Amino acid sequence: MPVSRRDFMKVFGISVASLLLTRCRFPIGVTCYAPLPPTALPDSTRDRLRLCWLSFNELAQKTIEEAKQGSTENTFSQQLVADHRAALDELVASGELTPSMADLIQEAYAAAVYHVWRSNAPITCYAPMLVDYAPTGAAILIQQASILNEEAADSVIDPETLAKAQAALEHDMAYYATSDSELQSLYDQILQDIQTSNQPFPAFEELHLELTPDAQAAAQFIIDLLTGK
Amino acid sequence: MTGKPRLLSLIVEVTQRCNHACLHCYNVWQGGQYPSGELDTPRTLGLLAKALDESDCSHVTLTGGEPLLRPDLPVILDFLRQRGVRVTVISNGRLLDEAMTRDLLRRGVGLFELPLLGDRREVHDALSGALGAWDAVLAAMANIRLHRGQFVAVFVATRLNIDSLYETIKLAFAFGARGLMLNRFNPGGRGRQHVEELLPTVGQVRQALEVADSAAEEFGLPISCSIPIQPCLIDTRHFKKLGFGFCAAGSERAYYTLDPLGNLRPCNHTHTILGNLFDEPFAALIAPERMDAFTRAIPAFCAECARRSECQGGCKAAAQVCYGSLTAEEPFLHYSRNTVEKNFLGPLTRDIISSPY
Repeated sequence: MPVSRRDFMKVFGISVASLLLTRCRFPIGVTCYAPLPPTALPDSTRDRLRLCWLSFNELAQKTIEEAKQGSTENTFSQQLVADHRAALDELVASGELTPSMADLIQEAYAAAVYHVWRSNAPITCYAPMLVDYAPTGAAILIQQASILNEEAADSVIDPETLAKAQAALEHDMAYYATSDSELQSLYDQILQDIQTSNQPFPAFEELHLELTPDAQAAAQFIIDLLTGK
Repeated sequence: MTGKPRLLSLIVEVTQRCNHACLHCYNVWQGGQYPSGELDTPRTLGLLAKALDESDCSHVTLTGGEPLLRPDLPVILDFLRQRGVRVTVISNGRLLDEAMTRDLLRRGVGLFELPLLGDRREVHDALSGALGAWDAVLAAMANIRLHRGQFVAVFVATRLNIDSLYETIKLAFAFGARGLMLNRFNPGGRGRQHVEELLPTVGQVRQALEVADSAAEEFGLPISCSIPIQPCLIDTRHFKKLGFGFCAAGSERAYYTLDPLGNLRPCNHTHTILGNLFDEPFAALIAPERMDAFTRAIPAFCAECARRSECQGGCKAAAQVCYGSLTAEEPFLHYSRNTVEKNFLGPLTRDIISSPY
């Protein structure tokens, strides 16, 4: 089934959010007794836009804190989405972006924000959390492996089922065993595949992506924004 | 503003048929007077289209019965995907073999909710009313994870399985569950016939919450307690790692439920039919005047409680299906307060949280 450019942008935004929350690290040049300088307010529109994309950790934390207080107001999400839209509007006004590209970028960002918020908000009755595939933490995987080994020793669970569960676990462990450079190559390859051909995206293996130039440009804009180009 | 009602989620019961016979089943058509049957594929898609056209809803939960018994489930999923709707499937896992799992994931199922009622097959199978249920659901969980899908495990806490909660959480975690829904048994449907046998005591539920709270920390697993627990029975604030919810009927967080014939209800537990979506617009069906009796209902026992607006007496739908009235005391409160009230609550201090914590 062809994927619309809006759907592609949503998936792209969510993927970026997942990358930022799981593996990507932004180097900060801080040394002992050399504290970080005071955070300067972003002075350009692009800086403000970039800050929105780098706020997912904060969003996750605020969502968890909000939930602990029994609230689902989700105010920070709304603020982020509004800030992002405002920055895009400025770029449209200055001619840096076309309105349609700005809409697609906003689509990606809104989906990413929703993804982060919903992944961190507690499950509620019959309104379960919506999560997308991302390997869980390495320590968790080790703990899971240990329990599966115990279960195997007990011989209660069907061996075929256990073998499948262990195979799935090993796949996730392989992810964590991947070096940073290998991982970067993997991401590059994935992005290249998406942009240049109908090669499958791992989590959406059967999709045939038909990207419009607008969608490609919007995705590239986000990548450039985050990589500081 | 679109003028359409905003829904965080819509529940769609695609079939009343099921291949299990859970003792705790809450389906409203089990043992009561409720319209039976289901629409054919074109009418079902028409129903979904109307629901989505007339509401601002981006998430649909497909349930049943057992939704995988509908041979046109792939068509329904394709339709929802075309409409840009995220989909959750509530299933017993029996039919989720590897090929089916892969196919459903490819068609956009974002999350499965699967029961895990114990760490031993005898308990799970007995509660499911079906031999082989435990093996099937574990295989389903493995298949989902193997193909990069997501599932949450659902533990229905009854007298028969509540002691095995820790081991069950551990098993769900090991199989890759992304969360666990810890639902105390909430009588309805077939479950009404098994209240005495299944309904846990307040003490058992409190003990289970302690176990779950500790396990949530140990395994880093989100655990939510979806069925309301009355604060006058157990002070849930003690359990920092657990999520708790109360009835959301009438709010944006409500989970309106469409049955297989197009009848809309305030939630999946109640047999109250607001009307048929083929006959009226969605907004008219959920208009305040239709929902008023449901949303305002509260037991007399709770009238003086300071937390009545939040708690609402627990699950009013359970009160309705068990005792015939939305304002009756639902079974957990009804059975517990006779013993708990004199121990923990003075007659004029119902607004005080008075559990041992």
